[in-house]
Amino acid sequence: MPLTDDEKAELVAYLDGELDEVSTQAVEARIASDPETRAELDALKQTWGLLDFLPQASPSPNFTNRTIERLTIETEAPPAAPPPADTAWITLVGWAAAILLAVGLGYGAMAYYWKGVGKDSGDPSKNGQPIHPEPIADADLPLVRHLRIAERWRAYENAGDIAFAKQLNHPDLFADEPQ
Amino acid sequence: MATGESSTQLALRDPDIRLMLRVRDDDAEAFAELVELYHHRLVTVMHHLVGNNEEAEDLAQEVFLRVYRGRKKYHPKAKFSTWLYTIANNLALNVMRSRQRKPTIPLNVRDSGPLGPRPAEQLVLDRADQPQQRMQKQELAAIVKQALDTLNERQRIAVVLNKFEDMNYAEIAEVMGLTTKAVKSLLSRARDNLRIALQGYIQMDQAEPTESAEE
Repeated sequence: MPLTDDEKAELVAYLDGELDEVSTQAVEARIASDPETRAELDALKQTWGLLDFLPQASPSPNFTNRTIERLTIETEAPPAAPPPADTAWITLVGWAAAILLAVGLGYGAMAYYWKGVGKDSGDPSKNGQPIHPEPIADADLPLVRHLRIAERWRAYENAGDIAFAKQLNHPDLFADEPQ
Repeated sequence: MATGESSTQLALRDPDIRLMLRVRDDDAEAFAELVELYHHRLVTVMHHLVGNNEEAEDLAQEVFLRVYRGRKKYHPKAKFSTWLYTIANNLALNVMRSRQRKPTIPLNVRDSGPLGPRPAEQLVLDRADQPQQRMQKQELAAIVKQALDTLNERQRIAVVLNKFEDMNYAEIAEVMGLTTKAVKSLLSRARDNLRIALQGYIQMDQAEPTESAEE
């Protein structure tokens, strides 16, 4: 007849040395008389013994030092307390106001600066007036066409003759320099 | 400075309580002594519970940090180890339960994982065991580990404390916040489950696991 849960618990407690004298004697009597109980006892013993095959832990040799270091870090670092929830919105509004003020001041300063520059330069475009270039007279058209020659007239003057002037046209000598 | 007469008596009987009382008074050296004294046992227990050496060390370290953080509230009512394993039990239960919610795939025993021997251990094994015997032990270790994993968290903790910490039912009950009767029932069911899981391997338990190979 199979053992009940209570009988099994008694058997396990017997193996663990947890029974009082009376209960111990009762279990021992049953073991002596019942082969099934004996077999169960033997199986439980062997099962318990198999746990010795479990892999053994091997703590690092510096475990204690690492623990102390971690504790030192923990105790030295002040706890970073988050701002209380009811004052968080005040901080947010403060930052927003500061940013708006900075933008406003910046805009005002720039507007004031450009206004002053426009007045000082006399440049019509900077006074807010549109630019209307004067029309070029027909007599001046050749001058406009040969403006580049006029700009470099001093160099051409020193050249002496046209052949030398052509040599001066070499890009290495008078090429337009990058602005 | 124990509080009350019973605490004083406990402190006189248990040197670890005296050590912990020094920790309570901010004695850093005493804390280091306590860690040195208990870390191997605690890592071993955690290793059997979580099955991973690295995680076991992290958890053991966390237990010691909790001991230190809670030092001012320490009042000796039982053996120091009971208090220590109560903290360990709470932490391990949380970890095992959260792991159950996020199951992971266990590595094979021969993979480079928690069940595989380290190089130094391997060297010892190589010298001590015949290859066949070594393989048999490794396979058996994996099978026993799997059998232990079939237990629920409470059963596993009770088994590990009983088997590897030699705790009696009353101490286990105190650590786990149960009655002695509940522990008796818990351990009975746990051992019955293990017996069923290891039914086919019971005859393999002929040699002591730490014995060297036959001459």
